[in-house]
Amino acid sequence: MKLKQMMVSGMKSMLQRTGMNRYFIVVPYIVGMGLFLLLTGCEQSQPPEFRLNMVQMVSLETAPAYQQEIADVLGALFGTPDEPFAMPETGLDQSQLKLAAGPAWSGEEGSVYGLYRKHCVHCHGVTGDGRGPTARFLNPYPRDYRAGTYKFKSTYNATKPTDKDLYAVLYHGVPGTAMPSFALLPSSEIETLVEYVKYLSMRGQMETELINYVAEELGEEDGERIPFDPVSDQEQRGVIQEILAEIASDWGASAENVIQAEEAQLPQENRTAEEIAASVELGRALFYGNKANCLKCHGPTALGDGQRDDQDIWNKSNKKFQDDTALLLERVNENQGTSDLDAAGRERLATDVKVLAVRETVAARLYPVRNAIPRNLRKGIYRGGRRPLDIYRRVHAGIPGTPMPGSGPASLGAKGTLTDVEIWNVVDYVLSLPYEGPSQPQRALPVNAQNIAN
Amino acid sequence: MNRFWSLLFLLVPIGGVATFVVAPYYNIWLPRDVSEQGHKIDSLFMFILWLTGIVFIGTQLVFVYFSWKYEAGTNKQPVKYSHGSHSLEVVWTILPAVTLLFIAIYQMDAWAEAKMRTPGLLPIVEVTGRQFNWDFRYPGPDGELYTRDDIVRTDGNLYLPVDEQVLLRITSADVLHSFFLPNMRLKQDVVPGMDQSMWFKAKQEGQFDIVCAELCGWGHYKMKGRVHFVTRADFDAQLETFRQEQNKVLADPPVVR
Repeated sequence: MKLKQMMVSGMKSMLQRTGMNRYFIVVPYIVGMGLFLLLTGCEQSQPPEFRLNMVQMVSLETAPAYQQEIADVLGALFGTPDEPFAMPETGLDQSQLKLAAGPAWSGEEGSVYGLYRKHCVHCHGVTGDGRGPTARFLNPYPRDYRAGTYKFKSTYNATKPTDKDLYAVLYHGVPGTAMPSFALLPSSEIETLVEYVKYLSMRGQMETELINYVAEELGEEDGERIPFDPVSDQEQRGVIQEILAEIASDWGASAENVIQAEEAQLPQENRTAEEIAASVELGRALFYGNKANCLKCHGPTALGDGQRDDQDIWNKSNKKFQDDTALLLERVNENQGTSDLDAAGRERLATDVKVLAVRETVAARLYPVRNAIPRNLRKGIYRGGRRPLDIYRRVHAGIPGTPMPGSGPASLGAKGTLTDVEIWNVVDYVLSLPYEGPSQPQRALPVNAQNIAN
Repeated sequence: MNRFWSLLFLLVPIGGVATFVVAPYYNIWLPRDVSEQGHKIDSLFMFILWLTGIVFIGTQLVFVYFSWKYEAGTNKQPVKYSHGSHSLEVVWTILPAVTLLFIAIYQMDAWAEAKMRTPGLLPIVEVTGRQFNWDFRYPGPDGELYTRDDIVRTDGNLYLPVDEQVLLRITSADVLHSFFLPNMRLKQDVVPGMDQSMWFKAKQEGQFDIVCAELCGWGHYKMKGRVHFVTRADFDAQLETFRQEQNKVLADPPVVR
């Protein structure tokens, strides 16, 4: 007790002697705030990293050691989100990647850095896997670039989009989705973002191929792991170069794969109302006919109420992973319930339990699977653009990654389901649908009406 | 340093007034008003700013004076407690009440003009807010919305004729948004399922900001656009360009690198 009193009075007299009594609140406050800012404001966060495609890795049971090696190889080929790097073979512009990557900031005289993180990352994610923080709340989910598959483009279904196609998506946005327009950015910045999106795609495609390669070619030999080490293994290096060359040549060839409509068959600018109506009638017959069979998915009313239980490739791969995990869980539960397992059975159960644990952690992070709902053609909202040219391309090439098939030739010189004239008829019909009264009696009876569930 | 606290608090009115005096020179004052009716909003703003400004300075000076006069270091008299003054309380209740009532009545006409007296015009454009973009639909040559010749633009650039009263129809495709034209002094909340209107007359040609003024989601910050006020002739020409672009059937020749 005495000690405490002594301390208090000693403190008081010290404060009085030093004339500090008035400031003994203010000074610690300022010092405290300074410390607070020092600790919180100036702290550097961890640099972001590219995330590995765990769905594919776990599906193919890639060992952790291989996962690390694949990450290392990808890092050597493509760098990091802060320091992107593109091999000269990719044809990517290194200086543009530098502008697009890294943290967002503005330099002197209007040069802007970190464009991707400023505009895109919160939906499409650092890796370009369509898993940014906002993604979970959006419908449709943001595009996962890693498959290198793009929906709205001018090229044949199986080929890559042109730079112009990607530019157009950024310029006009995607109506009917959460993808906004970036038309207010300078065109150089949009081009920079296009380059970075291609970079993320190439990196993702490379990752997919590497995981497949490791799963198919490498593994254990005589009880010893064959390392994935292209630095010392000439053959593996050759394989990587081959894959890279193929990816790059696919992207490089996109401009040659643009669908060219036959000029002689183009609808004329000055068609009369009767001519358009005649074309619409033909289009309607095709829509309900067996050949184009649009009503199978878009439904007899064109409200998109036909087949709705399919998924696009991005959701499908997640669904497969979840289904397989559920099957495995079932098998584990079943085997754990039986008491008369032989030695091999017990060993298998032990591996199953281990695999299941890994699969479940990955599956828990996946978003709920969404079905691909066919477009309601009466709303007048066209995600890939509303020009007849855009609709022509959708009907001709289909929409890659989705159940929408192409009706035109699949490649230059091939034969398509529909002729160019027929595609233009369908285009006319589709463009007339939003303005056709919903109660208008259906004139062309579906040929395959019996195939449609009511 | 006995009167440290009173002097510190004196910085509040000085800093507060200085901010407003200096603001226009640092371009952090009101955005340029290019509308016909915007000055009414601005004069209301200025009226209320002066009113609250004078009251602010007055009350702050009283605070400073009291904290100066009754500084604990110089006043040795014990504190006296009083119940307060009934008539004073009546005065400081009635005065603000009357002032607020006056403002409420005084602004009514400006409000009615901006929000209630819809001009009998056909909408020149339909604006649809969606996360995270403003989409524009012009009626096309027939002057009627929702017909086949509508021109739909999703690139965030809105074209409107200058020196002409225009009516905009504003809707939302998903959640709450707010269509804000700072240079028109107009802001309209957009509610999904409701038709909203906005009308104004632009007095100057040029490009001005469109922003979303209602937090609508994570991409709210990039939900912006640009309104272009052009002459009627340019407006018609622009729509014709859009119309031709929208009817496009032939792709541009491919550029092979």
